[in-house]
Amino acid sequence: MASPRSSFFSKFWQLISSIKTGVILLIVVVIVSAAGTVILQRPMTEADEMQRAYSPQMLRILDATGLTNVFHAWWFVTLLVLVSLSIVAASIERFPNAWRYFSRPYKITDAGFRRVLPTQKQIAIEDSEAALSAAERALQDSGFKPERVGNKPASLFCERNRLSEMAVYIVHASLLLIFLGGIIDGMFGWTGFVSLVNGQQVQKVETRAGAIKNLDFAVRCDGAGQENYADGSPKKWWSKLAVVENGREVLRKEIVVNDPLVYHGVRFYQASFGQTGQVEKLLLTATSKDGKSQDIGLKVGDTVQLDADSSVRFEKFIPDYVVRDGQIYTASTSPQNPAAELLVASAKTGKTVEVWLPEIEGFAHNSESPYLFNPRDLKMANYTGLQVSHEPGQWGVWAGCLLMAVGLATAFYLVHLRIWVTPVRDAKGTLMLWIGGASNKNREAFQDKFSEIIEKIQKELKQAQPRQTQSAKLVEEHETTLVGD
Amino acid sequence: MARAKVEQQAAASGMTLIVMVGLAIAFLLFMAFLNVVKTGNLLTESNLLYAALIFYAGAGSLYLGFGVSGTESYVKFASLATCAGLLANTGAVFHRWYMAGHPPFASIYEMLLSFVWTLAALTLFAEKKFGVKVIGTVTMPVAIVGVVLMQLLPSEVRPLVPALQSTWLHVHVTLAMLAYAACALSFALAMMFLIQDNVETETFLAATSAAVSVAYGAIVLARFEKWGGLSLVAWDPEQKAEVFISRGIRLFVTIPDLGWLMLLVWAGVTAPLIIYAYARWRNDNGLIALADRAVFVSILLQIMALGMFILRARAGRYPSLDAEGLYATSLAASPFILSGLVAGIFVSLLYLMLVWRRNDLERLLPTADSLDRITYKTIGIAFPLLTLMIAAGAYWANRTWGSYWSWDPKETWAAITWLVYAGYLHMRITRGWRGRRAAYFAILGFGVVMFTFFGVTYLLPGLHAYA
Repeated sequence: MASPRSSFFSKFWQLISSIKTGVILLIVVVIVSAAGTVILQRPMTEADEMQRAYSPQMLRILDATGLTNVFHAWWFVTLLVLVSLSIVAASIERFPNAWRYFSRPYKITDAGFRRVLPTQKQIAIEDSEAALSAAERALQDSGFKPERVGNKPASLFCERNRLSEMAVYIVHASLLLIFLGGIIDGMFGWTGFVSLVNGQQVQKVETRAGAIKNLDFAVRCDGAGQENYADGSPKKWWSKLAVVENGREVLRKEIVVNDPLVYHGVRFYQASFGQTGQVEKLLLTATSKDGKSQDIGLKVGDTVQLDADSSVRFEKFIPDYVVRDGQIYTASTSPQNPAAELLVASAKTGKTVEVWLPEIEGFAHNSESPYLFNPRDLKMANYTGLQVSHEPGQWGVWAGCLLMAVGLATAFYLVHLRIWVTPVRDAKGTLMLWIGGASNKNREAFQDKFSEIIEKIQKELKQAQPRQTQSAKLVEEHETTLVGD
Repeated sequence: MARAKVEQQAAASGMTLIVMVGLAIAFLLFMAFLNVVKTGNLLTESNLLYAALIFYAGAGSLYLGFGVSGTESYVKFASLATCAGLLANTGAVFHRWYMAGHPPFASIYEMLLSFVWTLAALTLFAEKKFGVKVIGTVTMPVAIVGVVLMQLLPSEVRPLVPALQSTWLHVHVTLAMLAYAACALSFALAMMFLIQDNVETETFLAATSAAVSVAYGAIVLARFEKWGGLSLVAWDPEQKAEVFISRGIRLFVTIPDLGWLMLLVWAGVTAPLIIYAYARWRNDNGLIALADRAVFVSILLQIMALGMFILRARAGRYPSLDAEGLYATSLAASPFILSGLVAGIFVSLLYLMLVWRRNDLERLLPTADSLDRITYKTIGIAFPLLTLMIAAGAYWANRTWGSYWSWDPKETWAAITWLVYAGYLHMRITRGWRGRRAAYFAILGFGVVMFTFFGVTYLLPGLHAYA
């Protein structure tokens, strides 16, 4: 045991298992995370915004120390691991004692214990056995289940909510469970993003780390859309998704924000919605010179025969057109100022006329066309943005949360009550009934409860005759008092 | 402002304050009623909220008045006024709920509405159940500042954006409101513990003047412009919104001379602190009385600063350093400065109350021991609620953003709050921290809670952008 190695280990153990170390570690975590919310963080901020906010030297220092990505820096992870170690060590250090206390309850009092217990009372009695049964009845009346322990002299012991002694370990175990879930997700989990247009199908997802994940199934988008409130703000985004496995459709679901699709542990969340700038279909009315009109629908690249001679082709679509230097450009991908180019061809003459909707000067020759085109509707192709994530550890997190709720409820609201009843002889040799009680929290409330029990016992002792049914009086008191010592 | 003067007179005579506060409430309600007659709508949310504000202000004055005069009957009337305020507040909550079609949790305005309601309800609860009669002295000012802030925040009913359409919103926010209100209560109790624990009145002098001095210092350092102006965010009265130069960058206007005034008041509120430090250094307790007088003067200065700030910010158009032309501003554009100024006056008044009526306070409050225990019990309620709030938030985030924890500023600060209270519990249970150290810890915890609630929303925006 005296070897330097084991002494180093025991010193380390002492250090890591002390509450002081734990609290210091927590303080460091608090300071560092606060810093992480004040300093702009790489994963959430655009690179040029970072450059605007900090000078180049500053940025270099921040980057080198990991302060621009605090929550994923190696030293932050190390810190969290140290916190977990400290919880584990502190628990291991204290657990055996608590477990002994929990698993082998102290039932038979000895003289030393009876002397020092703060909450106690002695009542003069005549006969041990009769007194014990009186006390037994009184305790049963108060909702306890007294057991007879020991003999010569026999005594009574009862308790309630022994689990309360273990509450701290339940809470700490739940915290470790949550950490475990987080670590599993950190190692095996991933998040990514895909955007899909109507009818498109994907099997590969690009993760945020830049890797490509191959799924063992494919996801197809069968439509996506947005609903608005009357004031134009978005009310709902939805996407109809289908899961295709081995060429077979196995699952269909319409997902909305707050309601993802889950398949084989991979979750698809509705994250964004927008326009691709591509047209899905252009609906037109074509009117010939002699007044006959027909409705046609075109995709980009489609050609439709209008009559025996003329045909029209949807050549090009420009979502947000501007004309500059004799060229047509698009300013954005949203159809704020859309323009469509149609080519009307004549089979006889082989002549092609360029028609622009709307008529853009210098490009359009709409008047030369044998047909007049009136746009009726423009159906834009929408894309739906899906956040994809795989978090195998999340069940640990949720289990940890539930366990923590149980643990905290136990820690704060369950009170471990114990009551001992033993016939003893006092210094003068008189036979006395010694009654002692202890609670691990909320001592005042327990004092009241204890006096109440004493009163009941005294009453039972007085009525030496068989007890009347007092079930009506059996009003159980609520034990949902709070912690407080 | 008028209230402060009323109190000093009330110190002399017994029933005066109740009568005056009663008259003030009646007068304000009558004025409001005239307005109602003109518009024809009686039970609108803003009317109810206005009534709540009047009653809370009345309750606050009576609680303060009790502190100043020691008249116990004030407390009874104060809790009556709190009840009336709570009633009006409840009406406002339900009106909002009915109009919006969802519980009022969706914006910072609605959250404040719920928070003030919870705070008033818990105040009455603590008063009845724990017998902490003067708890309102601390919580009512918080409620008043909350309602005043609400008047300034955009309050239109907005339909719920997709991410908020979830049952988890209600679970998460209800838990948060309950937890935060419990934290506020533990803060008030810890303060009272310090009084009962015979912390010297001078220490409160140092703490309160330091707090007010920090508030003014922050305003002056952040907003003082060249040539004595004070820069404020410009406000577009038609859009009812702040004016932005470009995305995320606000336009500031400079109100001339207001900066000098703020600088003067900063000096005024720092003076008691300096006198205190000097008295400590010279060990001359006679100087403390001088410092108390300086606090009184500083209140007058603060009232002047608040009055000038309100007058100048509400009307007039001012130049900007960043853009041509004149722009308007509004109280709504500077909610933090305004609440800082109002809170400063309350803090100083609370101190004066302590100076004048410490004995009566000590007589009326529960013993230090039981206050210490009640503080602990309140945190014993707040901590599990905080835990559940974070867990519900994480579960909801997992359904909406695809990840249960993304180190968003709000999440991180919620975790920090949780850790601070976890630290409190560890120190108390394993190290036996009782009394003063525990009380300081509880006060620190509430400071972090307030930062998480307001500070993060305005200073560190992230994913959690709704409130």
